[in-house]
Amino acid sequence: MQTQYQPMIHDDRKRRLVGAMSESGIDMLLIYGNAWQSDYLRYTTDYSIVEGQALALVRGDGHVTLYLDSPLEVDRAQLECPAVEVVHAPNLVGEVDTVLDRFRNQRLGAAPYRLLPRRLAARAKDLQLADQTAFLDRLLMRKLDSEIAAMRRAAKLCDEGYAVFRAAARPGRADYELIAEIEAFFRANGVDHNFQIIGVGGPEVRGMAPPSGKRLKRGDMVTTELTPCVDGYYAQICRTLVVGAPSAEQKAAHALWRESMEAGIAVVRDGVTAADIARAENDIFRQHGLGKYTTSEYTRVRGHGLGLFVDTKPHILEDVTTRIDAGMTLVVHPNTYHPVVGYLVLGDAVVVTQDGCELLTGTPRELFSVAA
Amino acid sequence: MGWDPAELPKRTLDDRVSRLQAAMKRSTLDAFLLYTNLVRPSAVCWLTGFTPYWIESILLVAPNGAPILATALSKRVSEWIRATSQVDEIINTPKPGTAIGQRLAADGAKRVGVLELDALPAGLYDDLVSAAPNAELIDATALFAAERRVVDEPERKLILRADALALAALDQVNAAEVKDAGALAGLVERHARLGGAEEAYIAIAPDLAADRRLIRISKPVPLAERFAVRASIAYKGCWVRRTRTFAKDDVGQRAIARADHWLNQFTRSIGADKPLASQIVAQSKNLPCAELKSWMAESCVGSYPLEAIASSPSPGKETVIEGSFLVLALDLTVEGVPWLGAAPAFVGGRSL
Repeated sequence: MQTQYQPMIHDDRKRRLVGAMSESGIDMLLIYGNAWQSDYLRYTTDYSIVEGQALALVRGDGHVTLYLDSPLEVDRAQLECPAVEVVHAPNLVGEVDTVLDRFRNQRLGAAPYRLLPRRLAARAKDLQLADQTAFLDRLLMRKLDSEIAAMRRAAKLCDEGYAVFRAAARPGRADYELIAEIEAFFRANGVDHNFQIIGVGGPEVRGMAPPSGKRLKRGDMVTTELTPCVDGYYAQICRTLVVGAPSAEQKAAHALWRESMEAGIAVVRDGVTAADIARAENDIFRQHGLGKYTTSEYTRVRGHGLGLFVDTKPHILEDVTTRIDAGMTLVVHPNTYHPVVGYLVLGDAVVVTQDGCELLTGTPRELFSVAA
Repeated sequence: MGWDPAELPKRTLDDRVSRLQAAMKRSTLDAFLLYTNLVRPSAVCWLTGFTPYWIESILLVAPNGAPILATALSKRVSEWIRATSQVDEIINTPKPGTAIGQRLAADGAKRVGVLELDALPAGLYDDLVSAAPNAELIDATALFAAERRVVDEPERKLILRADALALAALDQVNAAEVKDAGALAGLVERHARLGGAEEAYIAIAPDLAADRRLIRISKPVPLAERFAVRASIAYKGCWVRRTRTFAKDDVGQRAIARADHWLNQFTRSIGADKPLASQIVAQSKNLPCAELKSWMAESCVGSYPLEAIASSPSPGKETVIEGSFLVLALDLTVEGVPWLGAAPAFVGGRSL
């Protein structure tokens, strides 16, 4: 049976992980994952979980034991990750708690620590279990060449997926029907998972969310954030379309968003901070008297990292001083509310280079329109 | 999806909360906490209709009054939460554990029941106990499950709707024509979502002669003579699974038709009088030339949408509860033909 095992990327990551663990004096990592936050798990085990929860023990010699509480996941893990020891653990927390007794007197690390089941975290002192989230964050953020190649494939599918989305959008269709068309396209084209939210309407719309059954009508702005996953890696595109001809206000607002996004992308290069990028985006809003729409009352982030998680670090915000390094992948998106036209989005994915960035997104930065 | 009072009346949610509150009083609990995220949404959804798509939240049920949801989702998303569920009070905060802990401390709560206490995320737990140092957190998973198990009429109808979506999606499969598993997964998912499914996980065993395990497929994989498709479908927070086996050959089709008919009859007859394992073994003998290889029963009893409650490796001895909901999955060989089937069932004669 053909599986979706991608040995090259995983082997690259594994070599890097084992080397980093050795350098940092970590004997074993305890990794938690679920379908919402599976990046730490995927990096260390090459497994992306869909149902239930997972814990993995990753030893310094590269041996991985993956504990899954769903028997359905066990079947898939055995096929997709032949190099991993897979254990069905219906009482996941209790069984791993018992196993950890065998690793006393070793230097253990855990990630992501905040999501670790509290019963296991309660044994931190007893087990010399340290929070190693930051250790893995560094590996997750700065990508290897094979990881960036996967990001490029995912970004190409962003472009193709958005074309499917535009073709599906027409008056009378429900928002969930647009999602159906996209997901069908993705399933047939190598996308295991897609995180997508959508907004439909006008000034009453303050953000994007999963579909609620709203039907498209003339004059609506349709915003979407499309985030397909290829070989574990998520790229993202944010675009807005109008049902019918865009109004002058919608065009003007979109031009401002584009100016902001391009200002942010122009700043991206090795050595700047996340705050530098956010500030460049937000300055454009401030210049147009819309500075308050860059605050948390109207927007979450001005972009974020991309990779094995939809919303990986760093968050692009003016108070985030994380250094941006060559090899990071980001989406720059000044998505926020406009007081006249409503919530508007525009975002492109990039790879950071020494002197700037490589643009991954190929879809034009237009305010699209579809026939009413 | 938008909340529809005709599908899930407010009084149904109020009744569920009241049942939990009555159980809390019997166990002298001052409060009850239920965690929710994308993967563990079902307990909070049962009480409020709310299913998160992102990050984490926690629901506080006090002995009296409406539940309070503390969520890391931003204030902008509250409008969506209110449009899709029934939550009277929403606290938007980056630290839901702290917010609920402060509420517990202010209320003087001493004994606090928690659903799946051991699995609470460490960060949220630390925030909670820091803000409510005098509260004793007690695992109350069994208490919740006892109230949760019996399905009320609105939930039954939502399950039926989810099942209808799954069946219609699987009806799209034309075994004679379809050749690629990736395209097939897209076809089934598209149809389910066009019908209004909130979520659709499609898994395929593309060659049953080689391997009976069902996996997620999103790349071109050729389909063999006999294959199986599992559709796990959510509608308004209610999940079902349907698995069907397909064959291109006449012998396979006949065996599959007999097994499908048998499963349909069996799921209508599951009773609360005997352990499920004995019912399965007895019923499988009614299917001539069939060998039962394995089985699993899932239900929704806690935060997971569906979780195994009994299986061939762990059959258990307890009887199933009258009025509860199951998804029964079976692996058989019928007249030499591999067959996988899964279908939902209500225990005690209320057929789907």
